[in-house]
Amino acid sequence: MNTRPESDPRDTVVTVRGLTKSYGGRTVVDDIDLDVRPGEVLGLIGANGAGKTTTVECLQGLRRPDAGHVRVLGLDPVRDADRLRQLVGSQLQSSGLPDRLRVSEAIRLFAGPDAVDADRLLEQFGLAHRRRYPFGGMSGGECQRLFLVLALLNRPRLVVLDELTQGLDPAARREVWAAVTRLRDEGTTVLLVTHELAEAEALCDRVVAMRDGRVVDQGSPAELVARHASRSTVRFSLEEEALDDVARTLQELNALPGVDQVLRHGRHVTLEGSRAVIAHAGAWLVARGLPVPDDLRVEVPDLESALLRLLDDPVVEAPHDLEGVLA
Amino acid sequence: MNTTTTHPDRPAAAGRRHPSVTRRLLTTELRLLGRDPMTLTFVLVFPIVSMLIIGGSFGTEAGGGFPVDPSQWYVASYFTVVIGSTGLIMLPVHIATYRERGVLRRFAAAGFPRWSFSLAMLAVGLTAIAIGGATLLAVAAPVYGVPHVDDPVRVAAGVAAASLAFVSLGVLLGTLLPTARSAQAVGLMLFFPSFLLGVGGPPPSVMSDAVREISERLPLALANQAIREPWLGLGDATGALCATVVIAIVAAGLAGRRTAL
Repeated sequence: MNTRPESDPRDTVVTVRGLTKSYGGRTVVDDIDLDVRPGEVLGLIGANGAGKTTTVECLQGLRRPDAGHVRVLGLDPVRDADRLRQLVGSQLQSSGLPDRLRVSEAIRLFAGPDAVDADRLLEQFGLAHRRRYPFGGMSGGECQRLFLVLALLNRPRLVVLDELTQGLDPAARREVWAAVTRLRDEGTTVLLVTHELAEAEALCDRVVAMRDGRVVDQGSPAELVARHASRSTVRFSLEEEALDDVARTLQELNALPGVDQVLRHGRHVTLEGSRAVIAHAGAWLVARGLPVPDDLRVEVPDLESALLRLLDDPVVEAPHDLEGVLA
Repeated sequence: MNTTTTHPDRPAAAGRRHPSVTRRLLTTELRLLGRDPMTLTFVLVFPIVSMLIIGGSFGTEAGGGFPVDPSQWYVASYFTVVIGSTGLIMLPVHIATYRERGVLRRFAAAGFPRWSFSLAMLAVGLTAIAIGGATLLAVAAPVYGVPHVDDPVRVAAGVAAASLAFVSLGVLLGTLLPTARSAQAVGLMLFFPSFLLGVGGPPPSVMSDAVREISERLPLALANQAIREPWLGLGDATGALCATVVIAIVAAGLAGRRTAL
């Protein structure tokens, strides 16, 4: 029996059940379920072509689903498109503004009757000095921050950000991340579409991983890392003193909490295990009273390694009852 | 459900209605019109420069294939060039550029009504024609003089029908062509043969029978006849006017069906 997660529409900003969309016979979104809860930053992650953008375009009423039930803020995105778009702020992938449109003109164009104080938003996003600038003369980071301002202008109840930092340099990316962090702190519900996993890990309360149009897992970044990422690793070299009694040293390391495996190659030692290994190996190194090895290296599992592992796995059936498991 | 922004409210200006999306879009597009080099080149500069060159090339006496003073013939004809360049080049390129750069998607996602952009484009096209046409006549006045309008009602009807027809064609082409480059290529390909054969090129009398036959049936040539003939007192051009009205109705209908942003 197909058991789909039940959700109270009052507890969700977005409810999707069985969403399917095909282009020219190719299924791009394949029977997915999705919930976005009020006040959370939900990341839709996956490789290019996973179906993320098509999914959010269906949520925004920009594409008509082939099958499935979609409700955004209680509205049908196709039937109630005009009403819904007043309530959703969007930063779309591959979208722009006329090059010669100035920032202040863009604000006037997009500001509805209930718009917030645009001057304050521009101030908040570091664009107050760019009011007279044409869109075509702004840097990539400034353009993205302007899109954020426009997305927030009309008091949206949901903000959709699609590939927000694509093509930005590291400094500009940090600026935009800081802006999204502010949104989260203010309690704005955000649906963030990204294939930048560091971005999802830094910004999202919960992530939904997609592959080939299907949801393969969802949960907090920490939960996905715990479920799918490889083990933590600590590497360092032993000093002469430790090599004198290498058997005892290795025995001590092997007994550290969280250690699954100790590997030695000459002077080089590698400890593998849970995250606890990092703390206990550090404590062990300090407790010996010897200098901390110069070549100490720690590898912590992250969302990227988790997703890579997820993508390497054989096809995973979309877990319709996963929501209950993770709740 | 929580409301999600904590930004401060801006009290609505007492007694002032917030402008509608269509009005905001129209205001913005009209403002951008003057900053668009494509508009300045093809709607203002090209017709005026061409009119100044060719208008003085055949003298000022009727004859040699011209039923009236050739300079007057070309001043009246080049008014239609403004209409053609607006509809076949400026608007398709403008709209296709917007689609290519995701501006139309942004408008759609912002909840702009589906027809608001088409309406704005219609207004922008008509405004461009009005400004371009007025500028052309203003430049022509001290050089060749503005020809006397023999039948103002028919000329006004011709200008209105031709403007609506070619602005609608422009919106239609803009919604059909995927990129700015393709719009430019198709627009130029449609415009220049029509311009040379039917409007601003040599007089029909110097053309071969076959070429003249073709040139008289080109849409821009029909629009030109509907304006020029009653303007210069060469006839009422009822057939050309009717054909232009039909083109306007069909093009506007098709453009209206393609209004989805």
